[in-house]
Amino acid sequence: MRKLWILILKEIRLTFRDRGLIITMLVTPLVITLVIAGAFGNGGSGLSDIPVILINKDEGFLSEELVNVFAMEGVTPLVQLEVAPNSKEAEAAARARVESDDVAVLVIIPSDLTSRLYPFSETAQEILGVDFETWGEGETPELTEAEWQALSMAYVQSQIQTPAPSEPAEVVLYASPDWRISTMIVKSIVTQGLTQLQLTTQGYDAIVSRIIRAQMASGDLSMSDQDNAQAELADTFAGFGGSQGAAELEQSYDLPIRLRIKSPSGRGFSWLSYSAASQAMLFLMFAITSGGRTLLAEQEGGTLPRLLITPNPPLTILLGKMAGIAVTGLMQMLLLWGATSLVGAYWGAPVAVAISMVVLVLCASGLGAFISAWAQSPGQAGAVGTAFSLVAAALSGTFVPRPNMPAWGQTVSLVTPNAWGIEIFSNLQNGKSLQEILPLLGGALALTVGYYILSLIGFRRQFK
Amino acid sequence: MALVKVEDLVKRYTPEGPNAVDGISFEIQKGEIFSLLGPNGAGKTTAISVISTLLPPTSGEAYVNGHDVRTEPMAVRQSLGVVPQDLALYGNLTGLENLRFWGEMRGLTGATLKREIDEKLELTGLTERAGDRVNTYSGGMKRRLNLAVGLLGNPPLVMLDEPTVAIDPQSRRYILDWVKRMKDEGLTVLYTTHYMEEAQELSDRIGIIDHGELIALGTLDELIQLVGQQETLMLQLWQGDGLADFKEAVQALEDVDQASIREGMLVINVPSAEAMLPTVLSQASALDHRNPRAEPGDRLPAPYRPRLA
Ligand SMILES: Nc1ncnc2c1ncn2[C@@H]1O[C@H](COP(=O)(O)OP(=O)(O)OP(=O)(O)O)[C@@H](O)[C@H]1O
Ligand SMILES: [Mg+2]
Repeated sequence: MRKLWILILKEIRLTFRDRGLIITMLVTPLVITLVIAGAFGNGGSGLSDIPVILINKDEGFLSEELVNVFAMEGVTPLVQLEVAPNSKEAEAAARARVESDDVAVLVIIPSDLTSRLYPFSETAQEILGVDFETWGEGETPELTEAEWQALSMAYVQSQIQTPAPSEPAEVVLYASPDWRISTMIVKSIVTQGLTQLQLTTQGYDAIVSRIIRAQMASGDLSMSDQDNAQAELADTFAGFGGSQGAAELEQSYDLPIRLRIKSPSGRGFSWLSYSAASQAMLFLMFAITSGGRTLLAEQEGGTLPRLLITPNPPLTILLGKMAGIAVTGLMQMLLLWGATSLVGAYWGAPVAVAISMVVLVLCASGLGAFISAWAQSPGQAGAVGTAFSLVAAALSGTFVPRPNMPAWGQTVSLVTPNAWGIEIFSNLQNGKSLQEILPLLGGALALTVGYYILSLIGFRRQFK
Repeated sequence: MALVKVEDLVKRYTPEGPNAVDGISFEIQKGEIFSLLGPNGAGKTTAISVISTLLPPTSGEAYVNGHDVRTEPMAVRQSLGVVPQDLALYGNLTGLENLRFWGEMRGLTGATLKREIDEKLELTGLTERAGDRVNTYSGGMKRRLNLAVGLLGNPPLVMLDEPTVAIDPQSRRYILDWVKRMKDEGLTVLYTTHYMEEAQELSDRIGIIDHGELIALGTLDELIQLVGQQETLMLQLWQGDGLADFKEAVQALEDVDQASIREGMLVINVPSAEAMLPTVLSQASALDHRNPRAEPGDRLPAPYRPRLA
């Protein structure tokens, strides 16, 4: 077991130090995936002019500020914003465009944004006027006593009966998973807008509390009737203790709004994701069959003969070599998964993807063993491996979507790891769960067992 | 006790092909340096490959430390270190990584492994370059590392296959001295080379191998005697295909010490070529060979004659 691990480690070291191998294993499939996805449109990798639709359902005035963030300098080149009217039809249409990957993100501002964010604002707006921030410079507005009372009441109410809604209001980003990076960018823009809103509402708070305190100090309030509202008001301020109270009021303020990213549940077909997975399968096959070529290189370079006269069973040496190739193949798949995800490809639920990768790498290494067991020479193994990889890739639907392949091609290609890989990943990309793809994983494993049985027969025949 | 015992060993690469090793027999005693001396294609590497269990023998026997190479390959591998003729190292790994990898594959671990690596790096003078990839080493440095890998764990038997080819005189000196030191440390060495001087300097005994056959075997003194006391007769037949039968017949004659076939000629060792010639010629005509061409030859081909200091 220890020796096996040593051999695997050596294989990984050698692979990742070989620039040529890195290019064939990682760079080429990535480039091809990007080229194919680019040629077919929905790149999703663009970092400028991200298509965004915004629907503002807010009945208050605060959302204005949130919408304006998209017009800020530095944001405009990033986003191509389209504001849709607030109607059911418009929203359905916008959702459909996200689902077809036409648009990266649909931003929906909820109807209760202003009222949740700043319940007091409506009264303030009513009494002080729309632009009540103009009172921030230390002036005191001219108000009737009734207006003062109403303002104070509303303020106190907003402070002490902190609305405790069971669910905070939600700004929803309805985003296509194919536009992962774009979604992250839009999310950070909206987050910035919400932060700004928070600052604004805190500013309003400070203004109003200053005005009310100034009025209290001048004695206007104490001259009025001793009603409940006044008592409460006095209590509140006594409790907070002057100007320090104001500071605490600001700090205790919490945004009753959250940002939520939602994705379409049934996914549309995405070339980027499909290509990422099918190209990864093709290049996994290349990597595994070229592993056979490194076996030849080790034979010719003398390291394999040298290994064979170390005190280890030849089977350990052979297994070490094969496991080494399989582990590097798995690392290749994982890296391609990570890299293509960064540019927007979606592979499916992570655990299911990881398990599928292990199964598929095993399957491919079974094929590799099968080819080297039956080939007359290592050189022939390399040539047959490459040819088989390409034919298998074409038949199983690497270059056109598998469902578009003729039925016989789909059936025949089931003897290749590629076909199973494409089936498995397509299902995962469609949102299927691990349980749902178990039959497919079983099929791939059955094929793997078949490969290994045929390999054993081949090895027996060669080395009897 | 003989650490290596080889009996009538034959190795053919293809069923019909010629014998790359053609019935050789020798023993190597514990603590001895034994050289196989021979030209290109003589069968030195093939012999080492069979003794090291890399290739199965076609017929005959070989034992290392009492273990049969056919039936107990693991025990044989346990007791030997091989320094292959061609470099067998991972060029994309560093010197240190190579030593560690091969040491671990030999079953060394922990402190023993570390001590072995440090010692070998010191011996090869590669300590400073240990962290560099082997691809960046000079030819001599690679050879020294190749040697060090074969010696990891100080196995009782070390087989060195032409460790000094394509190397500058200084590095060669270095390696020869190293081999002598192995003997001092009690190791047994099987050394192959093209060069008589090397065999002469290092070896307790020398086997001269040509076309898969051992044409002479003995200590340096025995070889010198052989050259001095015997004469050699070389015979060429007009029809080439009867050579093997002719050899059989001649070998059976009294006074013929040894007969072998070299480049289409029958080479025989006799006390006196002049006295022997008539007998040999009549033997030829008995086999229907007319007037074979005969000329005096050397007991050992020129490059393999011991130099008298
Ligand atoms: N793998 C092989 N397949 C077929 N024939 C081989 C093989 N290896 C060696 N031979 C043949 O066996 C004979 C002996 O070769 P070998 O390599 O043992 O000689 P050698 O004494 O080591 O020569 P050198 O000094 O050149 O290394 C040669 O005729 C060679 O052509
Ligand atoms: Mg050789």
